[in-house]
Amino acid sequence: MSIETSPVFLLEVATDQPIEADLLDGIAEQQLVHWEDEWMPVLRDVVARMKAAGIERSKWPQSLHWDWRQKAQGFERALANPGFCVMCQGMTQGMMFLDLLHKARIASQAGKELVYIEYLENAPWNRRHIAGDQVRFAGVGSILVRAAIELSREEGFKGRIGLHSLPQSNPWYANTCGMTDLGADPDYPHQLRYFEMTPEQAEAFLAKGNTS
Amino acid sequence: MALKKTMTLNLTDAEMGALEDLCEKKDLSKTAVLRQALRLYQAVETRVENGAKLFFENEETKEKAEVMML
Repeated sequence: MSIETSPVFLLEVATDQPIEADLLDGIAEQQLVHWEDEWMPVLRDVVARMKAAGIERSKWPQSLHWDWRQKAQGFERALANPGFCVMCQGMTQGMMFLDLLHKARIASQAGKELVYIEYLENAPWNRRHIAGDQVRFAGVGSILVRAAIELSREEGFKGRIGLHSLPQSNPWYANTCGMTDLGADPDYPHQLRYFEMTPEQAEAFLAKGNTS
Repeated sequence: MALKKTMTLNLTDAEMGALEDLCEKKDLSKTAVLRQALRLYQAVETRVENGAKLFFENEETKEKAEVMML
């Protein structure tokens, strides 16, 4: 499998300057090693500190149980499940797996094909609720959502995307991405809220540029 | 995005008709419908190879019919 690279820009928070990065249309061994060796130790440390401080479980990083190696093995060679990642300064800054076999639920688009974001995760040092004022790069999530929209357009799905959001990410998908919140899904584990983006919302998101 | 290769596809009138009907119904191009069909076929094949069965269920009667894969 050949992986294509596209140039993108992140915002380096410390300097408030744009910095060159790459969007890759695949997740390879290098990204999985970064997840295991760089992301997970940070996440485990954060959880240990939160636990020691008596912080309730709902405030812990909610993607902690996601096993990217297992996901990558499960989606290997699956045409319906492409992966994407953002690389910057030789490090994986975010990863995403998609599913192209989902249908839109929002009334105006019901039954039409969309790109479903199965998993999207930012490196822990880029997350405000983990890194606080020390956040390294902003814009990773937006770049990955944009990649999902672009793929949706390329496949003829008009930019429609959908996803179930972890509670900590609900405000970001609703406010930053401008997706429609269709409420808690009773048929989904933990009844996560389901969000969808119409072609018009996708257009608006792309027009907004890289703002977070 | 990944580079694409071009192929010629020979279809009967009936097959072309079915493809055109799907394109209209799904508001997709012929290429998009066929690419989607390939993804779906591969996904079903993989599940079946891993021991899963494919069923259609009537929402009202809950009657299930197994789809036999070739």
